Amino acid sequence: MRLLGRAGGAALSLLMVAVLGFFLFRVVPGDPVVSMTRGRPTTPETQAALRAQFGLDLPLHEQFFRYFTSLLRGDLGTSFTFRRPVAEVVLERLGPTLLLVGTSTVIAVALGLWLGVLAAWRRGSAFDRVTTGVSLTLWAVPTFWLGMLLMMVTGDFFPSRGMRDTDTAPDFLSQALDVGHHLVLPSITLVAVVCAEYALVMRSSLLEELHAPYLTTARAKGLRDDLVRRRHAVPNAVLPAITLVFLRFGLVVSGAITTETVFSWPGLGLLFYDALTGPDYFLLQGLLVVTAGAVVVMNLLADVLHGVLDPRVKVV
Amino acid sequence: MLELRNLTVHYGQKRVVDDVDLALAPGRTLGLAGESGSGKSTVAMSVLRLLPRTARVDGQVLLDGEDVRTMSWGRLRAVRWASASVVFQGAMHALNPVRRVGEQIAEPMRLHGTPGSVAELLEQVELPRHKARAYPHELSGGQKQRVMIAMALACGPRLVIADEPTTALDVVVQAQVLALMTRLVAERDLALLMISHDLSVLAQTCEDLAVMQHGRLVERGRTREVVANPRHPHTAALTAAFPVIGDRRHRWAEPRPAPEPLLRVRDLVVDYGRTRAVDGVDLTVGHGEVVALVGQSGSGKTTLARTIMGLRRPSSGRVIFDGAEVPRGGRALKAFRRQVQLVLQDPSSALNPRHTVFEAVAEGLRVHGLREDEEALVTAAVERAELRPASLYLRSLPHELSGGQQQRVVIAGALVLRPRLLVADEPVASLDASVRGEVVALLLRLRRELGLASLLITHDLGLAWQIADRVAVMHQGNIVEQGPAEEVLLTPAHDYTRALLAAVPVLGPPATG
Repeated sequence: MRLLGRAGGAALSLLMVAVLGFFLFRVVPGDPVVSMTRGRPTTPETQAALRAQFGLDLPLHEQFFRYFTSLLRGDLGTSFTFRRPVAEVVLERLGPTLLLVGTSTVIAVALGLWLGVLAAWRRGSAFDRVTTGVSLTLWAVPTFWLGMLLMMVTGDFFPSRGMRDTDTAPDFLSQALDVGHHLVLPSITLVAVVCAEYALVMRSSLLEELHAPYLTTARAKGLRDDLVRRRHAVPNAVLPAITLVFLRFGLVVSGAITTETVFSWPGLGLLFYDALTGPDYFLLQGLLVVTAGAVVVMNLLADVLHGVLDPRVKVV
Repeated sequence: MLELRNLTVHYGQKRVVDDVDLALAPGRTLGLAGESGSGKSTVAMSVLRLLPRTARVDGQVLLDGEDVRTMSWGRLRAVRWASASVVFQGAMHALNPVRRVGEQIAEPMRLHGTPGSVAELLEQVELPRHKARAYPHELSGGQKQRVMIAMALACGPRLVIADEPTTALDVVVQAQVLALMTRLVAERDLALLMISHDLSVLAQTCEDLAVMQHGRLVERGRTREVVANPRHPHTAALTAAFPVIGDRRHRWAEPRPAPEPLLRVRDLVVDYGRTRAVDGVDLTVGHGEVVALVGQSGSGKTTLARTIMGLRRPSSGRVIFDGAEVPRGGRALKAFRRQVQLVLQDPSSALNPRHTVFEAVAEGLRVHGLREDEEALVTAAVERAELRPASLYLRSLPHELSGGQQQRVVIAGALVLRPRLLVADEPVASLDASVRGEVVALLLRLRRELGLASLLITHDLGLAWQIADRVAVMHQGNIVEQGPAEEVLLTPAHDYTRALLAAVPVLGPPATG
């Protein structure tokens, strides 16, 4: 019952995202055709032709109907900077983003939760003070600045632009090593920022549980300190962090706009940046629908998982 | 078996346990009584060295002749649960909410390599085997307490420490749990150290009794003698604070002629989904009358009260207040709510921790748009609730006040709106015996001076005996018996009322000698 309700809610959210995606880019000021043809001499005839090509001359409700029916078919329209279907462009960039942001997020979540647990368990210790201090600093520092700093510090040791070099041998191993080499700096940047957030969240969540009576019960039973922590404290304290983790997984798809831009990583984040500088309305619209949809779906997954991990929440 | 020598515990500069000497022989039962802050739980926790690191423990804690204070961590872990185990207050959060109770019972057995089965332990505490697969939230308070007991017995210890094992359970369940503990302690020849603020609970279970006050042991002896002839004034105060049903000296309500009805409930039915919580109830509260609604948890008494206050819609039936039907919504409902005010059980959670006394009391006035003379009205209400002079308390935050003072703030918040009916849900259940008497007296004085009627929801029959004019007994959504307090409590007509009365613990020698 509950699951059905949640799924219904998620479906409604997706619908809202689709509607919002359409109208948001219709109410922003500026004429798409003008920005499309910026810097080129145009005649009113070519402008009219472009309008007709993108369906911008139709009444609003007809535009919406076209947009919505094609959206259901998986067609997100055509990007006018790339002159290709938006869906195709997005799909092409999905791989690099998943590689960079996906791996970084998994590492960051694991590392962050672990650091947070240790810091809370030894609250007030030197370890706690250092972890919390460093986390707060990393969280506060602007991502692009951190990225640029890393580039400067490491010099030429790690590549700082793009995903692969043009002159690498075509065999799989060399290619993989090259990509991995390029991956180092942007993923360190991302891990540092995201991991700090998790360390802080997990730390405060576990601190809330530290005085729970069931931990005294566990100690009285004769459990070792680390067993008290692993078996009793963490399974309870991790519950509030679950939602946050999955929200972050949802954001993976939107890429890391600043990090990808700083390191010219050819992912969705950089695509977002390029679409904004256009501005490429159809591309932005498509990106919005895809990324917001990912967040909604991940949130639904978080709900389901929360029900599995916490017996007090009824899933069915 | 267990011996405490000159046990002293400090938290920082504060001495919470002061030079306590206690001894418990194998197979004996000892009750440790005291109010909150007397240090009784600190004594209990020091036995297995479970106090937080900030505590400084001096003296000796000898368990089977070995000092717990100087044990290595490994030795201490081996002793914990195997030599002595603890029955915590299971109704609260002493069980891990995300693990099955069976796993939690089995955990110490695996740890200490004790043979045995969870199913057998559950049978011993009279729970069906399949409950091993349940999570704590799926069990009732009494069942959780049974799980705690099964867990404590898992490694066959010779000493069991029970820390407030029946607090927060209603009388009937409390009686069952106490009977179970008494039986198991006798069968297994266990030594029992039981901690409670409730002298009557200890009197029923323990052969010996020790009383603590301000960290010191003020009296100890055979339970029978201590209860009958208390030598220390604090013990005397504790024994006197417990109302004995049938004792005229403990009946504070004066007899008065039957008043005109203020609130009338007629054939009220309230459903929660498919569950019928209140099933055709008739109830009357007169002007200035104190009516006690007694019953076990789950009997529907709180639902009935919420419906009377207009917080829930009845499925059918009528609630008539001062001759008019209680409005279902809008301005009229708001006006009605002003006349009926609620006092909850736990003042520390009923008060917003960041609101001063003044803000807490003034909130009702603000909600009802009575902004004139706010200061004067609040001061008057606070003084009515006997926080005098009010200026001393108005700027205080809840955590700076004692439990009794907090409850007075809650009462002041109700009084400031000049209500005509007070609905009080277990108003003294979380208070210490000495404070409890004062709050009870306050409720009576308000009735006398303001003509304030009260509907008292409680499972505490002693409280009903102290102040109620009339008593209504609720069982499974029905009122099975109602009438003048003396009639219902002294000559009960219904079997259920008799069962409730039989479950009330009395000060006296333990049932099993």
